[in-house]
Amino acid sequence: MGNIIALHSYKGGTGKTLLSVNLAATYTKRDKDICLLDLDFRAPSLHAAFKTEGNGYWLNDYLNGTCDIKKVLIEPNPLHNESGRLFVGLANPTTEAIREMSAKDRKWEMRALGRLLSLKTSLFNEMHLDHIVLDTSPGLQYSSINAIVSADVVLVVSSLDASDINGTQRMTRELYDLFEKKTGIIVNKVPAGILSTPSKKEKLLEQLNALHSLPILDVIPCFCEVLEAGGTYIFAEEKPEHPFTVILNEVATKIEKF
Amino acid sequence: MTAFKRSEKSATQILERIRQGLDRLNEKMDVVIEIQKHGQRNSESIPDVLDVMTLLSLPDHLRKTAVTLCKLGQATADAVAEQTKRARAVESGYLNQLMLMGYVKKERRGRKAYFYVEKEAEG
Repeated sequence: MGNIIALHSYKGGTGKTLLSVNLAATYTKRDKDICLLDLDFRAPSLHAAFKTEGNGYWLNDYLNGTCDIKKVLIEPNPLHNESGRLFVGLANPTTEAIREMSAKDRKWEMRALGRLLSLKTSLFNEMHLDHIVLDTSPGLQYSSINAIVSADVVLVVSSLDASDINGTQRMTRELYDLFEKKTGIIVNKVPAGILSTPSKKEKLLEQLNALHSLPILDVIPCFCEVLEAGGTYIFAEEKPEHPFTVILNEVATKIEKF
Repeated sequence: MTAFKRSEKSATQILERIRQGLDRLNEKMDVVIEIQKHGQRNSESIPDVLDVMTLLSLPDHLRKTAVTLCKLGQATADAVAEQTKRARAVESGYLNQLMLMGYVKKERRGRKAYFYVEKEAEG
């Protein structure tokens, strides 16, 4: 059975969505069938990343128990013939839906957890997918903790910002460790100068390993080309030789060997 | 010969009834032990929703049992023990403790006791 991989962070803007989309694309290039789900109900993004309005069914509906997960999934991006399939489940981006999701009570969240946990049966056993990638909202929110509990592997996306490092350390002790998940940290948007030579990268990794008790899966420089793309296309697909895509390939392999 | 077979069958049935009775007694003993350990549940002060925030607040040993039950939907102590790799008696104790805390419900079907967080129909 495949892995459910949740991308989470303490702070917003660390690059979870960008990494989720490109990680999913990296796996499909390896002929894997992938499902990418937008669990950031407060700031839905995948509809914009895939330039789609959806099919009228949202993950909100699935978690409300009003439709099956298969109705929610769309295949938005015609991928290369040799690659696997990419299914995407969108969160409803309307203000009304965001307001409604933020007002859910604890009982609803408990049922939502049950529905997320049952995805394993429907997506792995029935649709025979290889991996599920969950793009979550930052911090300690119900939807993100539900995603972490449902996941097999948690990727914590952090920056070098002091408050982000501090928050990640606290979440490691008070969240990730408690649920005994395979968890690794990706440090993203690292200023290029800090990683300009292999010895500088080695030194940074040493410092990060001293700061975090979780393994550092990789450090990703802040690439101007990725920022310039602005999420208008799937970078790993369009730029297969770019160092960003190469690093994501390494991360994808590390996750499977976790 | 026929009379002997009849009496053998009847003895088997009696033994089976005794075994069922012992199983039920065993489950009740688990509950009594948990009540002695932790006191009777105060339904006014203890929340009864097993959401992720509750999971975070539980002690490690109960969290593992509770998360496993959430994953399984409904399960016997045997099925939970198989997942957690802990002894059945240990899991039975923890499940009964979670029941006393109001997070888990129990239903007896024949000889087996099934624990669940919430039935699908209740959702």
